Amino acid sequence: MDILEKLQILGAAAKYDVSCASSGSKREVNYGIGSTFTAGICHSWTDDGRCISLLKILFTNECIFDCAYCINRKSNDIKRATFTPHEVAELTMNFYKRNYIEGLFLSSAIKNSPDWTMEMLYKTVYLLRHKYQFNGYIHVKAIPYASLDLIRKTGFLADRMSVNIELPSEKSLKLLCPNKTKESILKPMEFITRVGEEERNFVSAGQSTQMIIGATEDSDRKIITLSQHLYKKFKLKRVYYSAYTPVNDDPRILKVEKPPLLREHRLYQADWLIRVYNFTAEELFEKDENLDLEVDPKVMWALRHLDKFPVEVNKASYEELIRVPGIGIKSARRIIKNRVFHSLDFDDLKKIGVVLKRAKFFITCNGKTYERHLIDLQPEKIKLQLTEKAAAQQRMQQLSFFDKEIFTSVITGEI
Amino acid sequence: MYNVFLYDGTFDGLLTCIDEILSTHINEDEVVIVEKDKYQPMFFDKPIYVTLDKNRSQELRQKVINVSDKMIFKKIYYCFLSESQNKETYIYKYIKLVLKHGKKVKYLYHDDVVNFVEKASKNVSREIGKYMGLMRFNEIKGGVLYAQFEPTNDILVPISYFFRERLKSFKWIIHDKKRSKLSIYDTRMIKFLNGMNLNASFSDNENLYQKLWKLYFKTMAIEERKNLKLQRQNMPKKYWKYLIEKN
Ligand code: SF4
Repeated sequence: MDILEKLQILGAAAKYDVSCASSGSKREVNYGIGSTFTAGICHSWTDDGRCISLLKILFTNECIFDCAYCINRKSNDIKRATFTPHEVAELTMNFYKRNYIEGLFLSSAIKNSPDWTMEMLYKTVYLLRHKYQFNGYIHVKAIPYASLDLIRKTGFLADRMSVNIELPSEKSLKLLCPNKTKESILKPMEFITRVGEEERNFVSAGQSTQMIIGATEDSDRKIITLSQHLYKKFKLKRVYYSAYTPVNDDPRILKVEKPPLLREHRLYQADWLIRVYNFTAEELFEKDENLDLEVDPKVMWALRHLDKFPVEVNKASYEELIRVPGIGIKSARRIIKNRVFHSLDFDDLKKIGVVLKRAKFFITCNGKTYERHLIDLQPEKIKLQLTEKAAAQQRMQQLSFFDKEIFTSVITGEI
Repeated sequence: MYNVFLYDGTFDGLLTCIDEILSTHINEDEVVIVEKDKYQPMFFDKPIYVTLDKNRSQELRQKVINVSDKMIFKKIYYCFLSESQNKETYIYKYIKLVLKHGKKVKYLYHDDVVNFVEKASKNVSREIGKYMGLMRFNEIKGGVLYAQFEPTNDILVPISYFFRERLKSFKWIIHDKKRSKLSIYDTRMIKFLNGMNLNASFSDNENLYQKLWKLYFKTMAIEERKNLKLQRQNMPKKYWKYLIEKN
């Protein structure tokens, strides 16, 4: 099989996020901002509008495992291919020097054995770093059940590693991945965290993981609580969520008509709130098991806590400001810097980048509200105003609006 | 009546010129700075040409950085690289503001001059950012990498410094076709050349990798989510001419 055909098969296999091998990775490349600034430059945009920054491929799509949600599972009859380490290295170098990509995202199904697979990934990365002197970005998967020694060796050559959690509960894992155990995922994850803390130059851009959304009954509360745990305990840089796209007809999987993209979007927003805005999972899920699909989780939280509002923009602390819907980290910082020089009015806020559409319900400027009638609003009324417009827009522009909204927030995650 | 000052078109030349004006106490509203070659004499004008003096431009540069910071100086430089009309005169006025207010100039966002410089420099840095990803190098005979582009702003210099870091161990040439300017990097240093054009033929490998890249690009798109509008928003048509995947 020639290299063109292999690239076609193993690139396509990495495009959807439905296997441990490939999942979540499509977004990985979109997130290079802030503390995880790693592979942040977009080198192209595909016909669906997503950014390409890494050569994202599977090493092989031949798998000895049989996970229910995965296109590459053993029991599927699909075309199979396997690269050699040399081929991947050549491809990466030649793409890199032409400035097509920032680096490599190398993932794999499990062929022959976990150790055989991990060894191949290691060899590829080794070739790139030592034979080709490649300094660009490398993200490589750690394969469940692979020997820790191999993972360790690979981690010294990679910028980022990830083991995918896939499903947010042990029960779901048992149901859909008969060959994997919680242990087989958490052990390497814990190991990478530990070595990363002890050694320099080990996975220097940190560790991430990914979860499939919508294939099982797990609630948003369960998912976000798990993420919170992963950030705290394993110091993960990012957790990625991927709406499940049905690829197999399997009775164990919940019937999914369309991938739950909006839910995925809300989870990213909630994730952002716990990671960057100091919210806790407990605060976000005081009442419900799932996030509100109609409004973003910060609005949802604010509507439940109207007693904490309105916030006076010219006096509030940074912590108070970033909890206001429509005020992000950037605008909060600008508010604080600028109000030293003169007190801010609503016009100034606009210039600073505050989204007044949302913020106007929750703030005052020098004691004044945005419009006089805004004082005494009921949560339901605010919600109605915030959702009506969005809904109308959505009806009008349908998918294109929807995608744009999702992808821009995927880039910043900011609310 | 305006006092027209001419400079040689280089950034250092402009700084020298501004330094000269600052020492004269002319009313700021009566100052106009124009590039020598673009100047069209008016009947009553008595233009003054200020020749480049590296020491003076260095001095002014240092002075600006001392009272503010490097970021503000970078803004001035980027504004200079832009194609905005009357940028020189605005830069002069902006430097005056910086010398008066220091770093706080950032908070004068109501001011026309500040606004102008902010906008122009943002436009330039956005274009640089795009080209960091969208520049395409082709391997030409001899293994040298060669990229062509036609940027709106004159960004060959900053973009070349970016690729010096990125492609440290490769020889490359970047060619601004619109302005007939080249930068050449030989794995040690960059040379900038004006008034140059180049015709190069591909190496033996080049066609294969272009084919692979096109294939990969097509493969990654999810058919059911096709959204060409979004693609164009992120990657406006003006960049397509030299993009292999779009040709
Ligand atoms: S281990 Fe499971 S999820 Fe991973 S490639 Fe194999 S079948 Fe797919």
